[in-house]
Amino acid sequence: METLQYIIRKLITGIPLLLGVTFISFMLMVYFGPDKTYELLGKNATQEQIDEIRHQLGYDQPFFIRYADYLKELVTLDFGHSDSTGEPVSGLLGRTMPISLALIIPGFVLGNLIAIILALTAAYHRGSWVDRLIMGFSVVGMSISFLIVIIAFQILLSSSYGLNLFPVRGWNMSTFGNYLSYVTVPTLATVFVSLGYNTRFYRAVIVEEMTRDHVRTARAFGVPPARLFYKNILKNCMIPIITRVIFSIPLVVISGSLLIESYFGIPGVGKVTFDAITTGDQPVLKAVVGMTAVLFVMAQLVTDILYRAVDPRVTLK
Amino acid sequence: MRSILVVIMAVAIGACGGEGQQATQAAASTTGLKVYRHAMDQAPSTLDPVQASNVYANHVVVNAYDTLFSYKYLARPYALKPNLAVEMPEISDDELTYTIRIKQGVRFIDDPAFPDGKGRELIAEDFIYSIKRQFDPSQLPVGTWFWIERIVGLDAWKEAGSDYSIEVEGFRALDDYTIRIQLKRPYPQLLDTLTTGYSAIVPREAVEYYGKEFASHPVGSGPFKVIEYDTAKILFERNEHYRQEPVDIWYEGYDPETQAYTGVEVIHGRSPPFIDRLEIDFIGEDAARWSSFTKGNEVQYTVLPNEQVDQVLASKNPVTFKPEYAEKYHGYDVVEFGFVFNAFNMDHAEFGYREDPVENHRNKLLRCALIKAWDWPARSESFYFGLAKIYPGIIPPAVPEFDPDMSRDSVTRDVVEARRLLKEGGWTAENLPVFIFGGAAGIKNRLFFEQARSWFKEVGYPMEKMKLKQFATFGDLSKAWRNSELMYVSKGWGLDYPDAENTLQLFYGPNKTPGSNDANYLNPEYDALYEKSSVMRSSPERTRIYREMNQMIVDDCVAHTGLSRTRIFMWHKDVIALPDRQIVGGFFLKYVDLKTEDTIVEQIN
Amino acid sequence: MSGQSTAAIRREGLWSKAVYKFSRDRAGLVSLAIVSIYTIVALGAWGGLWATEWADVTGGKWMPVSSEHWFGTNIIGQDIFQRALFSTRTTFEVGFVVALLATAVGALLGAVAGFFSGSWIDEIALWMMGVLDSIPFYLFVAAIAFALQDNPYAMHVAMIATFWTTVARLVRGEVIKLKSLEYVEAAHAIGVPEIVIIFRHILPNTFHILLVQGTITFVAAIKSEVILSFLGLGVKEGMSWGLMISESTMEVMAGFFNNFLAASAFLFVLVMAFNMFSDALQDALDPKKV
Repeated sequence: METLQYIIRKLITGIPLLLGVTFISFMLMVYFGPDKTYELLGKNATQEQIDEIRHQLGYDQPFFIRYADYLKELVTLDFGHSDSTGEPVSGLLGRTMPISLALIIPGFVLGNLIAIILALTAAYHRGSWVDRLIMGFSVVGMSISFLIVIIAFQILLSSSYGLNLFPVRGWNMSTFGNYLSYVTVPTLATVFVSLGYNTRFYRAVIVEEMTRDHVRTARAFGVPPARLFYKNILKNCMIPIITRVIFSIPLVVISGSLLIESYFGIPGVGKVTFDAITTGDQPVLKAVVGMTAVLFVMAQLVTDILYRAVDPRVTLK
Repeated sequence: MRSILVVIMAVAIGACGGEGQQATQAAASTTGLKVYRHAMDQAPSTLDPVQASNVYANHVVVNAYDTLFSYKYLARPYALKPNLAVEMPEISDDELTYTIRIKQGVRFIDDPAFPDGKGRELIAEDFIYSIKRQFDPSQLPVGTWFWIERIVGLDAWKEAGSDYSIEVEGFRALDDYTIRIQLKRPYPQLLDTLTTGYSAIVPREAVEYYGKEFASHPVGSGPFKVIEYDTAKILFERNEHYRQEPVDIWYEGYDPETQAYTGVEVIHGRSPPFIDRLEIDFIGEDAARWSSFTKGNEVQYTVLPNEQVDQVLASKNPVTFKPEYAEKYHGYDVVEFGFVFNAFNMDHAEFGYREDPVENHRNKLLRCALIKAWDWPARSESFYFGLAKIYPGIIPPAVPEFDPDMSRDSVTRDVVEARRLLKEGGWTAENLPVFIFGGAAGIKNRLFFEQARSWFKEVGYPMEKMKLKQFATFGDLSKAWRNSELMYVSKGWGLDYPDAENTLQLFYGPNKTPGSNDANYLNPEYDALYEKSSVMRSSPERTRIYREMNQMIVDDCVAHTGLSRTRIFMWHKDVIALPDRQIVGGFFLKYVDLKTEDTIVEQIN
Repeated sequence: MSGQSTAAIRREGLWSKAVYKFSRDRAGLVSLAIVSIYTIVALGAWGGLWATEWADVTGGKWMPVSSEHWFGTNIIGQDIFQRALFSTRTTFEVGFVVALLATAVGALLGAVAGFFSGSWIDEIALWMMGVLDSIPFYLFVAAIAFALQDNPYAMHVAMIATFWTTVARLVRGEVIKLKSLEYVEAAHAIGVPEIVIIFRHILPNTFHILLVQGTITFVAAIKSEVILSFLGLGVKEGMSWGLMISESTMEVMAGFFNNFLAASAFLFVLVMAFNMFSDALQDALDPKKV
């Protein structure tokens, strides 16, 4: 009951956040954003055709009316039809979102799990060659461009120049085997790139926890290292770790992985969003930005609740 | 020998068809279907014919829908042929009345848009409706300019509010199978416009049933029907009710001398389409498309990416493949039906027209100097591996009116002459205007700019006076063009039909912005010639006029022009086709066939 | 009074100890040296001492490495080595501007929010951070790039608008901790104005966070610049490694890797050095580490 009340209260306090996000993004992306009119025009257009298109796209409406319409769309979850393909936006997102999730989740999970393991190892051996090796690799990973990683992996693993083990195009999830063969290369690329960042972050968190006074005290009192690590350090590290994981979820879900999706021709939400940016498909942009904001508020809520689950000292006040 | 092979292949294919389950190729082996995987370098923006503005949309539209006419599959230069029309139209002596009869018994595919879900027969009224949509602003039409002010009563119909229940005098169905078009003045390109996706025939029920979603949900009568479509690919299935029309390859313009390698003889006497499924992958990145193509079991077709030219080609002139590629792939090289040019915007005082005749002349000298400073061969070498064709003026080599003997002065770099012209006009580093080079975002445009900057620097244009202005979206760039915001317009133009009229209109005065005359070139003499030639059928006289207009563009130093890229189409050897995507657009896809394993074996033996 | 002086003593101790610790950190010193070399390269390019021909076509297409062109030439015949050097200047310009302003904005707003934690000022600051953090970074930058048309600083604005929130959150947390310390409470008690407390007593004590965060932001800015320039949303004039990598996508499939290798190597070494420097700095400034 208390939790439910808390959730409701938190949801209500999320409203200003939603308004802020939608307002700023509406202003930037929709009002000042790219103009679709000229994309829809034929080769020899007349002023009359230009006006008609602007009218149909709703560009001739005043700012606040358009913003109010947007809020209404957000509440009813009805964003209308894509300006480009005419497909309903809800259908578009419903179709692309699961694909992005299926694409991103393995890399996301592995990238975080492996990073935590590496970070623990590094932190445990802090200062030794193991630490330096791991941290060295993570710096290397961080310093290589994502794009080059994608191209390199594609050439190495999926082309006749390399091992030619995996397919490049034609994303297909009809069977699990198919899914595995398509998801492998993108996953490897994602893991490779995220590992550096994640390991560094988690190591920093763990090291910070290790140098806390209570840990030092425990160590001075001769608590065995394994127990110390598990009970005193890892547990306290969970908060920043959870925060990082949860807060990256909305961005992962919505922005997907733009580069990966376009390079592997995966019809996910990232590609759709990118196309919407470059063509000025505002209904799609509005939906994506609005959904991100909603998810972000949810993420905050979930983190708060999880905080308590992990650390009973934090109360939901 | 050839005929024996044909017989063997026909037997093999027949046998395959009879048993139905024979594996045809790697991709299809699990399903037993003949699947051809095509690739395009961009996704179509829409599948609605009313907005089918580019080659990508056309590829899809002409396969899902029918057009009255199309081009012969193999004939080069391109030749028109009837498609849904029974034969070429009856044209009155004054060239103003066209009577077109269409085939009977053609059905739209089954779709919930029709009562009881069964596709009904396509009738003449459907064509009338489809073209009328181009005159209905609520449909956001894009192809209107093909027919605007051409057809008796159609513009007035639009003025009156685009009410489909009102009949247009010059544009109507005489009965279910006869169309009558009356023109205001002769329009020799009319039949060409009736091959384009814009003129594809749609059923009114579906347009109304699907509303905006019609753009992603085609309901046509073409050789294929769409079963899946997203931003990465489109999947077609054979339209099993497609009309039975055996192919006569000799009628289609087959030339055994040059086309035997394609193997298209096997389709002779059979009715298309020959494949069960057609998948078109939209792959924007050259690298990804190339690796998919070379994998063997993915896409079976690509345009050779520039980056691969040195890897793949043994020689450029003529184009030949290295043995390891020749062994696996077929290729077909052709100069593109289009060209690249950069025009000065004559409405901008920096380089364009000036009231004062002296200033006007100085500006002309400046333009001419910058044209002499331009280095097309270097551009071609850097970005097109020296494979592009460079020529003076705006009539590209792909059209029959091209003049190979025209003076190449305007495309030959001459630094000394450029400096002299600048000096003659009194131009110095101090008084030269800031040159704003506008283009779409992207590294290629930036490099075009940097290259031009270095050329201009050599003739004395200060580096800091050269600015790059990039537009993040193509829409924003077009907006700048339409509103005449750029002093210098870099453009590529793809031809809609094989007639130089289509490029000459780019400099026709009344087409000035927001029309396609982005240069805002205004020359009454030119316009008069354009108007005179626009009602003429192809003839030596018309060609002479075209060339005269072309010379005016060169003499007035309006544009850096032109360059046409050479396209090299490549396809796997188990594909039987001449996959030329130009002009003919996607029409060739219905003629694509695949070799079965049996026929491959026979051929090797 | 006494509280203030102990804080000052502690502060001094922290810094002198940090310098001592840093001077004994070999990796830190090496990284500092590398960063310094880059800085000199950037300054030289800025002052016109070298890389002056970065925009000129001085050779043919894709010329291999030679004594004349150390890294070969690009697709239109420009010298890749000079372009890589010139890009260093762009990188530092972007890195410094963004790191400095983002850290400054973050410190200021974070300190104010922390000091007034629980009040409406804090609420507004948190709300702003929440709003900015909820918009996907690349969408946000793209949006700003569109909104500011082709303003050369669109990228800077977008990055500062995004990066300050991290700094602010950290500073806010630290300030909340600091303000309950006795010397701050003492200052309160004797009536020192709030603004003076924030700027004289609290912010200086967060300086070690700002320094480390500044280096991290610097790296983030460099890396984002590369991706943004690659996407065509970044550098408008001049040259940058991102643009070079972008050029290289037209080249790697043709088997020409010079642009890619040059830009990646320059970027890689700098980012690596900066990360190591940042780590060493963090270690040196860690009061708990002996």
